[in-house]
Amino acid sequence: MTAQVVLAATLGLLFALGTFLVLRRDVVRVVWGVSIISQAANVYLITMGGLSGGAPVGSFGESALPTDPLVQALVLTAIVIGFGTTALALVLTYRVYEEHGTIDTHALADADRTAADGGAVAAATTGTDSPAMETHDDTTTGGDEQ
Amino acid sequence: MTDQIVIAPILVALTTAVLTLLTRFDGRVEKAVSVGGAVAYAVAAAALANAVLLAPGGPATLTYGVSNWQAPFGIVLVADALSTFMIVLAAPIVVAAAVYSVVSVDEAGQRLSYHPLYHFMMLGVSGAFLTGDVFNLFVWFEVMLMSSYVLVLFYSGREHTRAALGYVVLNLLASALMLVAIGGLYATTGTLNMADMARRLADPAAYGVALAPTLGLGALLLAVFALKAGLVPFHFWVPSAYRAAPAPVTAMLAGVVKKVGVYAVIRLFFTVFGGATYATTSTFAYVGPVLVVLAAASILLGGVGAVGREDVDGLLAFSSIGQVGFIVLPLGAAMIAPDAATRLAGGETTLAAVGVAAALVYSLTHAIAKPLLFLASGTIRSALGSTAFSQLGGLARRTPLLAGAYLIGGLALVGVPPVLGFFGKLLVFRTVTEGLAVGVTSAGAMAAVMLVGAVLTIAYVTRGWNAVFWGPPSERVRTLIPERWGRSRYAGDAPDATGGADTVSPDGGPSTVTDRALVVQVAVIVALALSLVALGVGADAVVDGATDAAHAAIDTGSYVDAVGPAEPGTDYHPAGDGGGESDETHSLAAAWLGGGDP
Repeated sequence: MTAQVVLAATLGLLFALGTFLVLRRDVVRVVWGVSIISQAANVYLITMGGLSGGAPVGSFGESALPTDPLVQALVLTAIVIGFGTTALALVLTYRVYEEHGTIDTHALADADRTAADGGAVAAATTGTDSPAMETHDDTTTGGDEQ
Repeated sequence: MTDQIVIAPILVALTTAVLTLLTRFDGRVEKAVSVGGAVAYAVAAAALANAVLLAPGGPATLTYGVSNWQAPFGIVLVADALSTFMIVLAAPIVVAAAVYSVVSVDEAGQRLSYHPLYHFMMLGVSGAFLTGDVFNLFVWFEVMLMSSYVLVLFYSGREHTRAALGYVVLNLLASALMLVAIGGLYATTGTLNMADMARRLADPAAYGVALAPTLGLGALLLAVFALKAGLVPFHFWVPSAYRAAPAPVTAMLAGVVKKVGVYAVIRLFFTVFGGATYATTSTFAYVGPVLVVLAAASILLGGVGAVGREDVDGLLAFSSIGQVGFIVLPLGAAMIAPDAATRLAGGETTLAAVGVAAALVYSLTHAIAKPLLFLASGTIRSALGSTAFSQLGGLARRTPLLAGAYLIGGLALVGVPPVLGFFGKLLVFRTVTEGLAVGVTSAGAMAAVMLVGAVLTIAYVTRGWNAVFWGPPSERVRTLIPERWGRSRYAGDAPDATGGADTVSPDGGPSTVTDRALVVQVAVIVALALSLVALGVGADAVVDGATDAAHAAIDTGSYVDAVGPAEPGTDYHPAGDGGGESDETHSLAAAWLGGGDP
């Protein structure tokens, strides 16, 4: 029972911390927040399997039935997926910084607004439109891959 | 009972994705593999449809136990009429967008990563449609999303990175929520298999399931699926992500990936949660009104937003939000009075079946019309460098074929016969009027919202058409396209006439579109338009297929029978953990281990 209470409290703390970080202005903290929330979901999954039995692997000879191993398999899958998505999110953050020179979400939103208001028309009239931009972007992407 | 055909779409998509990775050394080979794989996918979808929808003696439900594990213990793939309908819906768009990609996405990008990502996305979509396991659904969602993140980010310019950031963060949060919901469902029901879960929810006393938590967990899942489908208030990512992605990817996102959210709502809430009864009312009584409100808000916000846009891409993105509202509204309306008797396609049936069938026919319309429009927008952008209304006009005189195809796509959204859109809209309205007839008081309000939405659709389709294709050619159009597209092609059949890009960029500026590429792009768009008309003319078959799929979706009993999850070996209670540690977790694995213990 105590293990359940401790885990429940930990889960609440992790979700709260993750939510707090997601609401920050700094993109890196947002990514940390998302990452913490997905880890909290993993801990939650483990808790959901019940903690009453013995270890599912290597507990031969114990009298108690093993704890449900299925949730542990699920969490392994979720951890692998979370690893990939976190890596992508961090690379994306770096790309955002490269493109905009800032990782402040408010500054990014302002840039969004100006782009929506006049950016499209300005780009269209000056001729620096998507075909030219795509070429430029591909060279930078290629550079990052090296 | 295992049918190999069920896994065919998944295997084809996986094989193609790997082959495109292996053939990256040669762009031409890679493109050929990519298009060939898309065609093979369509063949696999047709074979699956032949085995399921056209099975002798009515639609069948085929299952495939991965590694031949029995139903609740291993992952099982299930192809019933609903899953097959969705796969068939996806197949033509996969082919069309793959062909369009080859001639529109820039060469360096295609060599780098485009084709593998495209097919991995299709792998995720196919898996999500076919799986019969809730956690596996989460995994396929992630496969699909992971690829779509990179595809939205594909050009990684200023607006692309910004759009992708919002898209990625929102979807990562949704994934965490989905994981929480799935974990909770496993803890309360003791299974992850959809059929087994449906059986346990329908008869909670027999399996010792505490039903109350599943309602909240279902609400979490609903939020996740609404995000995938882009319903208000989870629509924020839609316009920017659609604008950022390359045109064929946007076509796939709007046409196919969005439908995964719709499919998940139908599968989880009609098939799995449908049988559950919470304190004398069914799941539907709680979920239905929520869906109706979300859908009505989407219809209104999408419609008003689309009318106010000043560029084609923005208009189509907001239209997409509104159209998904039209898809989800009949689902919600049908949930309010699911058992009311009515008629559909010549047979007695229930309102739930009519609602699901309406949603499916409308999904099919939207799955063809919206990619058509996005691809047309992509062609306009690559030729003219802009889709802003202020820069466009009079394109109908330059390219009547493209204009005609765009018009058919627009008419499909409006719902004008003989285009398939008419039947979609007819069924959606029919669901609501039938609801009104059986005394659903809110159906009048729904009908009013849908009428307003339909008028808004007419307004933005007309406005977009007038601004882009009608009237005298704008300055930009006159400069970049001095005469009718394709005239040079007609003028001479000389081999060198096909390679020149001079019809598009007379000023020597870099153009992304060559004459031959243009012909292929327009051909793809026209083919989609013709298929809309053809499906509209042959709407009987479409409605029949959708009706079969709807019956498969709401008939939980036969779904459970077809999958046939084994009963737990014994009714297991954690006995050996003395002293109040019994947490009532009817864990399936534990039950299985306990059952095998002599």
